[in-house]
Parts: sequence; C-alpha cells; structure tokens
Amino acid sequence: MTFYELLVIMHVIGTVLGVGAATFAEIHYTRFNIDDIITDDERKTLTTTYTVMRAGLFLLVISGFAFLLYFRLTENVAALTSPSFWAKMTIVAVIVGNALLLQARMVPFAIGAAVSITSWYAALVLGVIGKTNATYVEILMYYVVAIVLVGLSLRWIRAWLHAPKKL
Amino acid sequence: MTTTLATLLIIHVIGGVIAIGMHNVILMHLLKKAPNYVFVSRLAWSSAGLFFLSWVTSAYYYVTYYGSAVKPRILAGAMPAAHTFFMETKEHIFLVLPFLAISIALCTMYLRSNPDDDLRKSTAFLTFVALVIGVATAASGVLVSGSI
Repeated sequence: MTFYELLVIMHVIGTVLGVGAATFAEIHYTRFNIDDIITDDERKTLTTTYTVMRAGLFLLVISGFAFLLYFRLTENVAALTSPSFWAKMTIVAVIVGNALLLQARMVPFAIGAAVSITSWYAALVLGVIGKTNATYVEILMYYVVAIVLVGLSLRWIRAWLHAPKKL
Repeated sequence: MTTTLATLLIIHVIGGVIAIGMHNVILMHLLKKAPNYVFVSRLAWSSAGLFFLSWVTSAYYYVTYYGSAVKPRILAGAMPAAHTFFMETKEHIFLVLPFLAISIALCTMYLRSNPDDDLRKSTAFLTFVALVIGVATAASGVLVSGSI
C-alpha cells in the first residue's frame, strides 16, 4: 500500500464519519425532540454523535493537508488552485465556524443544523466529483441554494412530526 | 528538495494545522459556562508548543530553501501575488501567533485556580482572533504552495 492510498483511506474514513454523524445527529435530534424534551440519555447519545463528527472533521482536515503536502512535494500543484478544492476548503471552514456559532448559541439551531448537514454532504459531493467546470462562485451558489432547500425540508419534517396525529 | 527540508515542511504544516485545530477545541470549551480548565490549559500549552515548532521549522525552510528555490519560481509564474502579498503577509502575521498562543495558555492556566467569567470571555475572544489568524495563515500557505 502506498502513502497516497493511506491518505485516501484516511480522507474517506474522515468523510464517512463526518457525513454519517451529521446525518444521525439530525435524525436523533428530530426524533428526540418530538416531545420537546431532551432527556439525559438522549443528550448523551447526541454528545457521542457530535464527538464522532468532530473525529471525522479532524481526520478530514489532517488528511486534506497531508494531500496538500504530497502534491507540493511531488510538484503536482495544479489541484491546489482548482475552484472545487477552494470551495471544499471554504465549506470545511463553514463546518468549523457553524459549530462554533452553535456552541455560542449565536445561530438558531434549525439554521445551524441545515448548514451542518448540507456542508458535510457538499464536501462529500465535491470530493467525489473532483474536477469540475463550475467556477468557485457557482459552486458556492449551488451550496447556498442547497442549504436553503435542506433547511426548508427539515422545517417541514419537524412541523409534520409535531403536528397532532389524526385518530 | 532534501529529505531534511521535506521533513521540516511536513512538521511545519501538520504541526501548524493541529495547533489551529487545538485553538478551535479550546474556543469550543471556553464558550461553555463552566469549562474543564485543566483540559483547556493543557491543550493551550500543547498548541503554543506546536506553534513554536511550526515557526522554527518554517524559519529554517524559508531561510535555506524558499528564498532561493521557490520564491523565484512563484515570481516568474502566473500568480506572483502569492509571494508579494500572501507570503509577505503570512510571514509577518504568523510571527504573532506563537505569542498569542502563549497568552491564551497563560490565561487558561490562571483560570484553573481562579475561575472568572469575564476572563473566560476575554480569553475566548483572544482564541477566536488566534483561530482566524491561523486559518488565514493556513489558507495563504495553500495558495503559496499552489502557485509554484
């Protein structure tokens, strides 16, 4: 196994943990909050899920910078100036900034959750697509539209789950 | 590039990124009303140590290799601003980071024995400033590497 393959595996594991944890954080929170009460057990489950998400983010960032070094040392630097690479860097920065804003309670949870889950999936999609003809601004515009759509969908799902059930 | 210089570059980048990540974790904890100051203080000192390690290794790389082998290629390339603006800014602003990191570590060490809400908030703000500078420095580094 080459060093490059090890980096790819580390990067994929980081993404899988992050995307999976972001998905289950949303599922758990929506499910636990149906009765508007988060019990201690439910809080522990959410805390564990967020810990997994942070571990994924750590692996993603470290392997991402290890890729950067690999490309730099092998003089293969074209990837470092591609729009999708910078869009991915921006989205990872949004994931970190969003987590800080949520922790400081400076952003409503509904918005923060939509930003978090969309950002993780956007990073995954950009990683899979690789090279694209879209510019940096175009990618970020798609990303913002996706956040709005996901936010509205989550809002609709929560409202539907909270609605009185017909007997 | 020799193996020694490549190793120094790897230590500079990975050490710096981990130190920035530690500041992120410190900030997350300082935003709580009752953080675990023992954990935060240990992390803050580790971060300061890593920033100094990143600083020393980058200084050696810069003085012995970058100026003679990398800088001319960037200046002759498609984006000379990667050196004239981003590297020049990075190398000066980065000087502040290790000392910001030490200030944060000293504050968190003081908070271990003297918990104080105002100092916690001020330290959180200082950590936020260090985090922003760290991220900007890392992004500049990527841009410089990509402009060769």
